[in-house]
Amino acid sequence: MVAVTEMTNWAVDLIDVHKTYPRNIQALRGVNIQVGRGEIFGLLGPNGAGKTTLVKIMMTVVRPTRALGTILGRPIGHRGKLAATGYLPENHRFPGYLTGAQVLDHYAALAKVPRALRRKRAPELLEQVGMTKWSDTRVDKYSKGMLQRLGIAQALMNDPELIVLDEPTDGLDPVGRRDVRALLLNLRDQGKTIFLNSHLLSELEMVCDRVAILVNGLVARQGTLSELTEHTVETRITFCGDTASVEGDLKKIGVKLDGSMATVGGYSPEKVNKVIDVLRKEGLTIESVQPHRFSLEDILVEAMGHVPGADGRAGAKQV
Amino acid sequence: MQFLALMIDGFRESRDRKLFWVMLLMSLSVASAMFCVAFKPNGVDILFGTWQIETDVFTIGDEVRADIVATVLVEWIADTILGWIGVIIAIIATAGFFPTLMERGVVEVLLSKPMPRWGLFLAKYLGSMVFLLVHATIFVGSTFLVAGFRWGVWVPGYLLTIPLVVLLFSYLYCVSVLVAVYTRNAMAAVLLTLVAWTMFATVQSVDDMFVFMPEWKEYRTAYQASQTARWIVPKTQDIPILAKRWAKAAAAVELMPINEEVGHKMRDRAEAVERARMAIHPALTIGSSLLFEAFVVMLAMWKFSRKDY
Ligand SMILES: Nc1ncnc2c1ncn2[C@@H]1O[C@H](COP(=O)(O)OP(=O)(O)O)[C@@H](O)[C@H]1O
Ligand SMILES: [Mg+2]
Repeated sequence: MVAVTEMTNWAVDLIDVHKTYPRNIQALRGVNIQVGRGEIFGLLGPNGAGKTTLVKIMMTVVRPTRALGTILGRPIGHRGKLAATGYLPENHRFPGYLTGAQVLDHYAALAKVPRALRRKRAPELLEQVGMTKWSDTRVDKYSKGMLQRLGIAQALMNDPELIVLDEPTDGLDPVGRRDVRALLLNLRDQGKTIFLNSHLLSELEMVCDRVAILVNGLVARQGTLSELTEHTVETRITFCGDTASVEGDLKKIGVKLDGSMATVGGYSPEKVNKVIDVLRKEGLTIESVQPHRFSLEDILVEAMGHVPGADGRAGAKQV
Repeated sequence: MQFLALMIDGFRESRDRKLFWVMLLMSLSVASAMFCVAFKPNGVDILFGTWQIETDVFTIGDEVRADIVATVLVEWIADTILGWIGVIIAIIATAGFFPTLMERGVVEVLLSKPMPRWGLFLAKYLGSMVFLLVHATIFVGSTFLVAGFRWGVWVPGYLLTIPLVVLLFSYLYCVSVLVAVYTRNAMAAVLLTLVAWTMFATVQSVDDMFVFMPEWKEYRTAYQASQTARWIVPKTQDIPILAKRWAKAAAAVELMPINEEVGHKMRDRAEAVERARMAIHPALTIGSSLLFEAFVVMLAMWKFSRKDY
């Protein structure tokens, strides 16, 4: 019983998800991802990594070749639970003949939102995404950014528990991106779970509680931002004086020496202190000791090096 | 609620097509043209006295006149303009509905709604019928009213032409959707639907030939093949016959100009064909046609539901 409740505590619990498209294109090769309730989860990865495929499997748009796990406590592919999810697809489009307000009403009706609620929520959401002025304009007159804002409003019309956004800041100007970030944080404060995809690193760094890095159909890293950045920290120590006298000792500790800068890899205060001891013993002047946190970008580049078949190109041809 | 939303969407999508307005213009032109014709005791008056045609065809008696008006309505006006031009316009206008629905970026939101794929498919399929339903109603409704008010002949049975034309369209639209689901190409859908329509009509015409030329029935295999084929395909040609019968119009044969040179034998045979057609049981022709339609729709639905988008 305990195991069951633990399992269902996750908002999204994906286990061993595989997807092979026709012509043996392996988009996903055994993905495991867990998302806690009420957190913003970022799925990160280069183009062609399989992010969109994974989201489409979650939203029943694509059938997985193999998949275990649950979404909101129900098996993946359960249609009923879709009423409690909101989805913004990548590069989405709405029929051009609908106005913004009609789009919200139409898709909410398909999500089984009662009429009275639709009437109430549509103007509120249009206000929240800053589209009130355009609510009666046909969608085919919208710019990419306006469409994106409307798409996010559409995903929220059924007041979902889980919101899945594929590249939500795509096509938005900096102000729009800031608005979306604020909106996501606001939604998290309301207790909603948010799952978002992005290939833009800076977007995610600012809002995500946890991230997974997907490379070529496999999760290369997963954890909180500090967990991920912590285990790859390095410390740079700069000094002045005669390098030759300390070279041997520093090599013994396992430090990379580059001119008058010693770099301690990983997170290791002991090593840093040893380096300082060596330098001080020889009477060298220490100029600075700087812990250097890897950005997500560094981690992504590093992770890509670890995954077989990951060379930054789309299309995993590995067997 | 979901079904209603998709019906409303079908109407909005129809209204967005230019052909929707072309067809509206056509319906109103036909009704106006009919309005310009008046029947007088001594003949026909066109454009309010501009032309007068002296004839006593329409003054024989009220029953005959009603018969003739009904024939004109169903056979000349509804069958050719609505059942032929109108249906072709509807096929062209609706051919893009499914390909658009299945485009990347559009289909994902729809599939992620709490509704089975077959439900989405069927609702969209029926929603596409709204295009012709609206126009058949406008066309038949307006011509019905003109015939009633202007000509003084009310033909309530003529209103049944509305569902019949929609039925005819549905026989053909299933082919359009099947092609669309496989190719996602509206042009291919239009072309293959027209090819299918021609084939359906040919199968029926071949079968009619065996009535017209009973001696050909000796070619047993050909005759049996023709009979079987007739039961399988949708009977598009039966629709105007049912429309005519339900409007209680006279059989076409009675109005056929009798050319003495053709001879009585030919005329008797033509009448035999007409009789054979008029004898069709509505439930049989509609039922067997719908069976075909259901089969094609299932094929399309199966493909639609199994696909990855
Ligand atoms: N419908 C499809 N048919 C075949 N291959 C596909 C399809 N969709 C995506 N792929 C392939 O799957 C891989 C992952 O694509 P995608 O999930 O879109 O990645 P991302 O969203 O991370 O950019 C790519 O190699 C892509 O070419
Ligand atoms: Mg993508």
